[in-house]
Amino acid sequence: MTHPQDLTLRQQSEAIRRGDLSAKELLEATLERLRDRDPAINSTPVVFDELSQVQISQAPAGPLYGVPITVKDMYALPWRAARNGTTLNLIPAGASGPYRNLRDAGVIVVGIANQHELGIGSTGIYSAYGPVHNPWNPLRCAGGSSGGSAAGVAARLVAGSLASDSGGSTRIPASFCGVVGLKLTYGSVPYDGYFGAATTFSAPGLVARDGGDARMLTAAMLQRPLPQQSGSGLRVGLVRQPFWNDVDHETADACTKALTLAGWKVSEVKIDNLELAGAAFLARLIAEAGIPSPEVFATLSEPTRALLLAGMLAPARFVPRADRVRAAVRYSLAAALETVDFLAWPATPSTAPTLDDPWVTLPSGRVLVDVPNVRQNSFANLTGAPAISIPVGLSDSQMPIGLQLLGPWGSEARLLDAAEHIERASDRAFVNLVAPLAR
Amino acid sequence: MSNFEDWARATYLQAGIEVNNDELALVEMIYVSALSQLEMLDRIDLEEFPARGVDLRHAPKAT
Repeated sequence: MTHPQDLTLRQQSEAIRRGDLSAKELLEATLERLRDRDPAINSTPVVFDELSQVQISQAPAGPLYGVPITVKDMYALPWRAARNGTTLNLIPAGASGPYRNLRDAGVIVVGIANQHELGIGSTGIYSAYGPVHNPWNPLRCAGGSSGGSAAGVAARLVAGSLASDSGGSTRIPASFCGVVGLKLTYGSVPYDGYFGAATTFSAPGLVARDGGDARMLTAAMLQRPLPQQSGSGLRVGLVRQPFWNDVDHETADACTKALTLAGWKVSEVKIDNLELAGAAFLARLIAEAGIPSPEVFATLSEPTRALLLAGMLAPARFVPRADRVRAAVRYSLAAALETVDFLAWPATPSTAPTLDDPWVTLPSGRVLVDVPNVRQNSFANLTGAPAISIPVGLSDSQMPIGLQLLGPWGSEARLLDAAEHIERASDRAFVNLVAPLAR
Repeated sequence: MSNFEDWARATYLQAGIEVNNDELALVEMIYVSALSQLEMLDRIDLEEFPARGVDLRHAPKAT
């Protein structure tokens, strides 16, 4: 008999609706799987055994009634403060806006998804709960900052997770763990009770096993239907430098092959002033990261402390210039998106590096993976546009590869159409792969 | 102590944060790297990059 967490989120929802599976049975199977599998992964360090039962009794009969999910540590819940990967209660307990939207659809929050502390890191290595291990190889990192969200879905502990994305924090772990990760358009849901409210880069993200599951979660989050349309015949733009040129060959080849399989019309696209986007992102990010209190500082890992301390020294003169560049590249992106339906490039420059040596070798040289990870992803955060990472291959070392698609503001439905089209074109070859720690 | 260390320590002291020498070495490395990237912004022509309002929820309005 199929374990309920080997069903897709859609199948779980349908089974409950038809009466083939009760919400209580699904929850018990989920809790059992968390106990069995998560000690090797550390995706969900806090599990709400009893509170999950209470949630079932209170859940509305929405489209996701009874479906267990995890929620990243960046969102306040009515019974738990948001800790943002630290040991401290940083946002008081309460019903955060993104949580409310999912709660109203009937989900059951079964646990807190582990994350890189303060969201400042793309590996998931540094967290008050310890590092997240990748279900494809526990010696490798799961990505970050939403590493627990992606690893938990890839390990089939839950079928969906509420993540967050300030510089790729949903798409990077999705790419590393072989699942779908969608960053929403900036400001498309209420931000109260969410750490993203403190920056102009953050947006909630949804992690799921495939495009169809991501569509259900996204529709619940946006509180509007996202009807499925054909993803064929779309026009895709490639921005070669730096997004395709400075990535490893296996990654570029797998992403190119997926675009070819999709049969889309592919053309080269130029984004004016793109070379300044990274500096603009960095200037604003430093300004918005601010200075944590000494109490918070005392709990942080050395690398996170060093990043924040370096940021404190950055001259403020860069911020107004960054804002001018930001405005300009948004116009450049809008102009590019008049000629194509979306842009495409690898979500991460390589597969997941190891936990003890998170460096990668790219055509430009050997580098700490965070640097090119943020480069590949921060453009969507700088502009506010939505973007998705889709699994499109496995490397020789049997690690997942993710393709990123970036679309116009509010185009989540089209991005999901594209994701599902690639799944069909590849006979679901990559979304159906099962990580070794999920077997 | 170098000028960087003096300056950095004074800044952190104002924020009530104590740092050790090892930490300062890592901070300096990160700071120098970040500054080299940020200085690209010093070279933009402000005439070509006018100050404009940004609404991140939507595409920019046509000019």
